[in-house]
Amino acid sequence: MSTETAKKEIDHEDFDPKGTLALILLYFVILAILWIFMYFIEFLGNDLTVIG
Amino acid sequence: MSDALESGAPSFLDQFPDEAKLVRATLWSAFIALILGGLFGIIQTLHRTDILRVMDSSYYYTVLTAHGVLMVVSFTIFFLVGVFTWAVVRSLDRPLVDIRYSWTWYGLMVVGTLMAVVAVLGGFVDSTEMSADVLFTFYAPLQAHPLFYGGLAIFLIGSWLAGVDWFRAWYAWKREHPDERIPLQTFMALTTMLMWYIASIGIAIAVVVFLLPWSLGLFDEVNALLTRTLFWFWGHPVVYFWLMPAYMLWYTVLPKLAGGRLFSDPLARVVFVLFLLLSTPVGIHHQYVDPGIAEGFKFIAMTNTMFLLLPSLLTAFTVVASMEYGARRRGGTGLFGWLRALPWARPAFTGMALAGLMFAAGGFSGMINAGMNINYLVHNTLWVPGHFHLTVGTAVALTFMAATYWLWPQLTNKPLFSRPIGLLQVVMWFVGMALMSNAMHVSGLFGVPRRTAEPEYQGFDFTPAFGTMNEFDMQIAIGGTLLFISLGLFIGNVVLTSFGTKQSSLGEDLPPALSGPSDSPVVLDNLKLWVGIALVLVVLAYSLPLASIISRGGLFGPGVGTYPMIVDTFSALIESVAHAGITETLAQFEVGVIVQ
Ligand code: HEM
Ligand SMILES: [Cu+2]
Repeated sequence: MSTETAKKEIDHEDFDPKGTLALILLYFVILAILWIFMYFIEFLGNDLTVIG
Repeated sequence: MSDALESGAPSFLDQFPDEAKLVRATLWSAFIALILGGLFGIIQTLHRTDILRVMDSSYYYTVLTAHGVLMVVSFTIFFLVGVFTWAVVRSLDRPLVDIRYSWTWYGLMVVGTLMAVVAVLGGFVDSTEMSADVLFTFYAPLQAHPLFYGGLAIFLIGSWLAGVDWFRAWYAWKREHPDERIPLQTFMALTTMLMWYIASIGIAIAVVVFLLPWSLGLFDEVNALLTRTLFWFWGHPVVYFWLMPAYMLWYTVLPKLAGGRLFSDPLARVVFVLFLLLSTPVGIHHQYVDPGIAEGFKFIAMTNTMFLLLPSLLTAFTVVASMEYGARRRGGTGLFGWLRALPWARPAFTGMALAGLMFAAGGFSGMINAGMNINYLVHNTLWVPGHFHLTVGTAVALTFMAATYWLWPQLTNKPLFSRPIGLLQVVMWFVGMALMSNAMHVSGLFGVPRRTAEPEYQGFDFTPAFGTMNEFDMQIAIGGTLLFISLGLFIGNVVLTSFGTKQSSLGEDLPPALSGPSDSPVVLDNLKLWVGIALVLVVLAYSLPLASIISRGGLFGPGVGTYPMIVDTFSALIESVAHAGITETLAQFEVGVIVQ
C-alpha cells in the first residue's frame, strides 16, 4: 500500500528550501506580468471606466 | 500526540468509534449538498451559455440560489465541522466530552439546512407562495420566505455549538495537561472558531433583527445598505471559514503525503492568528461600488485587505517548503527537479497540490478584485464567479475531496475503492476548472454580467479583443461538464468504498513539525489576547461606517440616498465620535478625499 521507499533523514539545519524560494519568485514574476497585462486591458482595451 | 507507527496503526474509527460515526455523518451531509449543488451548477452553466435549456429563464435565480447556498453554506460548513471534529479529537487524543451534545449540534445544522433548502426549492413550485430567490448574498432588498432565514439562523446556532464542543474538549484536555502547548490542529480549529464567532455577530443581527421580522411582515422596510453591510461583515470572514479547514489540511496532512513533515509549527500558528485578527475588518471591500459608504472607509478596508495577503503568502512558503522537504527526503534533487520526486500517483496528494496551484492563480484575480479602482472594471461581471471558483470552488472544494481519499478509509476501516479513479477525478476537476474559470475571467473583462440567465442582450454585442463570445461560452460549458463528471466520479468512489469489506490497521499517523511548538513564543497560545485585539480592530473598522449608515437612513429607513456622500458623512462623524484625536485624524483624511 505504501509507495514510500527508504527515506533519508534531513534535519532542520541541513534543509534549505531553495526550490521553494525559486517557485515563489517565479510566482511573483508571473504576478508582475499579469499586472502589466491588466494595464493594457483596463486603459487601452476599453474606454476609461471610472473618472474622478 | 500519539507515537503510533507510520502505518498499520489503529485507525480513527478503532480509537474513537463514536466520533468517527459523527464525522461520517457530517461528511455525508456535505457530499449530498455537493452533488445537489453540482446538479444545479451544470443546469445553470448550460442554460446561460444557451446550450441546453431545461427550464424557463424565470427559474434561473432559484437554481442559482440553490447552487450558491448548497455549495458555500451547506457543503463547505458541513465538511468543516467534520474535519475539525476529527482534528480536535485526533490531536488531543481524547474523545469529545459528551457525544449526545455533539449529535445535537449536528441535528440543528441538518434541520436548518433542510428548512432553507425547502424554502429555496419552493421557488420551483408555482402553486406555493414560498420562495427564496435571494442568491447566496441574501441581503435586502431581495426578500425570502421566513423559513429560509429561520433555517439559516438554526444552522448558524448549530455551528456555534459545534465550536463550543471543541472548546469543551480542549478545556478537559488542559486539565490533564496543564503545562503543554495547544496541539497544532486544535489550535487551528479554535482560532478559526473564534474568528467565526466574531464574524457571526454581523449576520446574526442582519437575519434575526432585520430580515426575519421583515419577511414575517412585522415591519415593511429595512435599511438595505445596513443589511448589506452587516452581511459583508460576515461575508468576507466566511471565505476564510471555508478556507481554514483546507489550510489545516495543507499544513498538517499534505506534508505527510509528500513524504515529509510540516516545516514550521510556529509559522502555522502565526498564520492562524493573523487570520483571526484581520479577516473581519475588511468586509467593506465587497462594497466598493455601494453608494452611501464614504470613500475613506473603503480605502481603509482596502488597506486591511492588502495586509491580509501576508498570511496567505506565509502559507504558500511554509506549505511548499514542507513539500520540498518531503521530496528531498524521497531523493529529489535540483532547483526544480525535486518536484518530480513528489507522490503524484496518490490522488490525495495530487488533488491538494493542484488545489494549491489554483489558489495561487486565484490570488491574482483576488488582488484585482481588492483594488478599489480596478474593481470597477470587474465588479458584478462573470470575472467574479471566475475568481471564486478558483478559491472556494477549487482550493477549498478540491482539497476537501482529495482529503476525503485519505481520511475516509480511517473513518470506515475500508480502503479506498479506486485510486486511479480518484486520480482521474482530481485531474479532471483541475482541467474543467481551468477551462471554465479562465473563460469566465476573460468574458468578465469584456463586460459579460454574472447572475444572468440570458447574457445575450438584444441589439448589443460584446466585443472581445481576442477570441469570440461563442468560444468563451463553449469553454465554460465544456469546463462545467467536466466538473460535473468529476463530481460524479468522486461520489461514486466514496459510495463504492462504503460497500467494501473492512480491514484493520488503516490508521495513519501525522508526524510532528520539523521546528516544533516549543520554538515559538507562548503568547501565541493566548487566545483571549488575540480575541481582544480582533474585537478592537473590528470596532475601529466598522463603528464609523455603521454609525453613518444608521444616522442617514435610520435603522429601518428606506436606505440612504446615493449622492453626495462625503461632506455629510463628515459631519455625521464629528457628532458620533467622542474621541477628539480620532476625529482630527479622520477629518484630515476626509479632507484629503474631498480635495481629490
Ligand atoms: C459542477 C461544478 C460547478 C459548476 C458547473 C458551476 C457553475 C457555476 C456558474 C456558471 C455560476 C455563475 C452563474 C451566474 O452568475 O449566472 C456559478 C456560480 C456560483 N458558484 Fe458554481 N459551479 C460549480 C461548482 C461550485 C463549487 C464547488 C462552489 C463552492 C464550493 C461553487 C460556488 C458558487 C457560488 C457561490 C456562485 C455564485 C452564486 C450567486 O451568484 O449567488 N460552485 N457556478
Ligand atoms: Cu472579501
